[in-house]
Amino acid sequence: MTGHEFLSTYPAKLLEYTLGVGYLLLFIPFWRYVRGGQAVRVAATARRAVRAAGATATSWFTVPDGVLLHPGHTWARPAGDGLVEVGLDDFAARLLGPVERMGLPPPGSAVAQGSPALLARDGDKLVPLVSPVDGTVAEVNPAVEREGAWQEEPYGAGWLFKVRPTRLPSNARQLFSGAAARRWLEQAGESLAARAAPRLGAVLQDGGAPVPGIARELSPERWDELCREYFRS
Amino acid sequence: MKMRRRTFLKLAGAAGAAAAGTQARAAFGDAAGAGESSVLVDTTLCVGCRACEAACAEANRLPEPPAGDRVLDQVRKTSPTSLTVVNRFEAPDGGPRFAKRQCMHCVEPACASACPVRALDKLPNGPVTYHPERCMGCRYCLVACPFEIPKYEYAKAVPTVKKCTFCAARQAQGLAPACTSVCPSGALTFGKRGALLEEAKRRVYGSPGKYVHHVYGEHEAGGTNWLYISDVDFSRLDLKVTVADASYPQLVKGALGVPPFVMTLWPPLLMGIYAFSHRKREVASREGGKQGGGEASHD
Amino acid sequence: MTSAVAAEARGSWFQEKILLGMRPGEYLRSLLTPFNGVAAFICMVGVPLLLYRFYAGLGATTNLSQTQPWGVWIGFDMMTGIALAAGGFTIGAAVEIFGLEEYHAIERPAILTGFLGYLMAVVGLIADLGKPWNMVQIFAQNGTRSVLFEVAWCVVCYTLVLSLEFAVPFFEWLGLRRLYQPLRKILLALTVLSVMFSSMHQSALGSLFIIAPGKLHPLWWSPWIFAFFFITAVIAGISMVIVESSISHRIFASQLRGHHVDADALTIGLGKAGAVVLFAYFFLKLQGVIDNHAWGYIGQGFLGKWWLVEMLGFVLLPSLLYAWGARHRRADVVRVAGVIAVLGIILNRVNVSMVAWDYENPDHYLPSWMELWVSLTLVTIGVLAFRWIVLRMPVLREPADLAAEH
Repeated sequence: MTGHEFLSTYPAKLLEYTLGVGYLLLFIPFWRYVRGGQAVRVAATARRAVRAAGATATSWFTVPDGVLLHPGHTWARPAGDGLVEVGLDDFAARLLGPVERMGLPPPGSAVAQGSPALLARDGDKLVPLVSPVDGTVAEVNPAVEREGAWQEEPYGAGWLFKVRPTRLPSNARQLFSGAAARRWLEQAGESLAARAAPRLGAVLQDGGAPVPGIARELSPERWDELCREYFRS
Repeated sequence: MKMRRRTFLKLAGAAGAAAAGTQARAAFGDAAGAGESSVLVDTTLCVGCRACEAACAEANRLPEPPAGDRVLDQVRKTSPTSLTVVNRFEAPDGGPRFAKRQCMHCVEPACASACPVRALDKLPNGPVTYHPERCMGCRYCLVACPFEIPKYEYAKAVPTVKKCTFCAARQAQGLAPACTSVCPSGALTFGKRGALLEEAKRRVYGSPGKYVHHVYGEHEAGGTNWLYISDVDFSRLDLKVTVADASYPQLVKGALGVPPFVMTLWPPLLMGIYAFSHRKREVASREGGKQGGGEASHD
Repeated sequence: MTSAVAAEARGSWFQEKILLGMRPGEYLRSLLTPFNGVAAFICMVGVPLLLYRFYAGLGATTNLSQTQPWGVWIGFDMMTGIALAAGGFTIGAAVEIFGLEEYHAIERPAILTGFLGYLMAVVGLIADLGKPWNMVQIFAQNGTRSVLFEVAWCVVCYTLVLSLEFAVPFFEWLGLRRLYQPLRKILLALTVLSVMFSSMHQSALGSLFIIAPGKLHPLWWSPWIFAFFFITAVIAGISMVIVESSISHRIFASQLRGHHVDADALTIGLGKAGAVVLFAYFFLKLQGVIDNHAWGYIGQGFLGKWWLVEMLGFVLLPSLLYAWGARHRRADVVRVAGVIAVLGIILNRVNVSMVAWDYENPDHYLPSWMELWVSLTLVTIGVLAFRWIVLRMPVLREPADLAAEH
């Protein structure tokens, strides 16, 4: 290295150190800027509030064994003679609440997993629900006309229609059962809790007394949109 | 054994040269690659006959170089079919100067250090040779060489790298390279690097006004085995003067140290982070109460 | 499941596994889409071109020269491809080592992108090598002074690790529990190895250029180039995952039925990381230029200005966009920043290998149409493979047994 090159390193190094210090000074506000923002904190508080209330989401919604649950909150259960019973689950029933009319697919029509098959109608609000399996509708439950059947016994007498399935084994792989299904409803409950913890705790701990749909409690104007979010429709 | 006069003189000469050589070694013994085969190119002595090109083509079974002087009107580079070229340049005094180009056979060759399969390899006695059976055609040697010497046979379906190999086979038999053995004007002198450096300096300082005060190849790229002296600026002779005075493979030393470092340091570092974050998760899930029980610990 | 149902399941394995449950005629008809048409056209020209390159040689198909030995196939397919496939190790590390479980949902697509990216990079490399069959010499010769030796070994080892990681969803798809169970158990070890190998070769790809300071423009050349390449690989990993997941979640929404992924939240989280790393990289590059005494080149001539375009437009800008988008919870802005960052990485690799390379040569390299078409074909094949795999194997969706175990 010639003397000139040796000396030229000094200003370069000084520049590097200055840049380094400048960068550190800029980094602190940059980091704080990027990490700032609010949404995360709100959800955390809501969850803590729910836990503080002592209730656990597992007790809010139930699903029996033997039922295959679709994440859109409809279920399927093999009924014998090759048919599969379809209904909506406890969560859907209570989220929706009583509606004027539950529109069912006509016998002979085709349904597809994840595609809308049912239509709940209340006033001018429409809430579709999806079918949990692929197949052809074999029969509908006449008891659906009697209001409340699927509200009170969503897994029993409140079944909605029966389907002759075309792809049950592969459909089944997409559905929850047993512990997974319970966990799914638990998560759904927690998700509701995050929306408005105090009022919800009181509504759900009521237990037994008929309440209008939870969705209407949470969002009077847009409860149909709220339902569609959960029902994947 | 009976010794003839000629043999005696040869031996005496050899002894004298050896003595001089020892002296040279003492002075230049610490010069890089002092014992390696080397060539001194004195461009003031080159007449541009291009016999070296013809000899090279014959020795390497390549097509004959174009005959006649018209070819000297263009400055040529080496190519897959001509491993050495002689170019003509104009000196400030209007006269012609000629400079032979070929692989410089660096003391620390960038190409050989770059070759991942040792297709280009440095022999201890100096030549940088090529093993086509190892070459996979990655062309990293073309990337690495600061003199832009290796040439690739892009036109072939099964290509190889082409460059001067210093007639390594001939040298192994004790012969001089083809080009130096036919040079009629003495522009090319074959010998050992240490001794040739001394000879070069002797000529440069012996005729102060004549030569440029620099032996091209003494320090370029950390030292090359083909040394040039000239009475005109080397840049006029199509010799790259922007080549650094340091060994190119040495530049890579630091970066080469990184992978083994990472191999050693990363596993404990990463496992430490894993253990730390795992512990945090365990603590958090315990504090989370009944809900936390559902968190499976994935290992 | 009744035995009748089980029998039905067995009998139509091919139909279910390969034809997505459709009958052959139905499946073939479903393939007639405009995208597939374009992809088929690209491949129908590209694959014969690739074969032609092996028949006729590199001179007949590329514009490579003695001063530009590395062109699009190395500069883009290999170097850029490997950088953009870095999501595999970044997200893998985030989930398995740093414990950020929330990114679990995008871990597998990232690994798949990595795996396919490396496969296509290797194909591009084979296209470029003059005598690819001699690649085995890497294992036979002691070329340890060469950075390329290390790159080659590392890429081989890492591709092995990636294929083991990808083998998990592959065997899950085939239902081979005895094969995927042990592989799942060693996932942590595989992840540590993947971070290690990736760090080594992502940086080494940069080190390749250290030996040629006279040929790479001073604003890009640095003895620290290996650090720059490693950090840009991390940036590329983060940004490619943002881009890939936003495309996948839209196009492959059917896979996500039954699987709730808050893609926006994950995108914003990745955006925060991207902002910080790009910010640091910007200053690191400045340090490198000063260390090289090269600040005088900034803004001088075409390359001096082009360097500013790369740094300001494709490093600083995406950093600030990431920051703004993350702070204001705007996943769409983060996605735009992701696209710009990915383009920036491509630009950097292309600059180092082609634009700022051999910069003093007035005769500048421009790729031939055949080089470009082969590159395009490789990318297309990668995308098609990605789609084929995602529609069948548990990559975007949970594998059935894990979903039940929860």
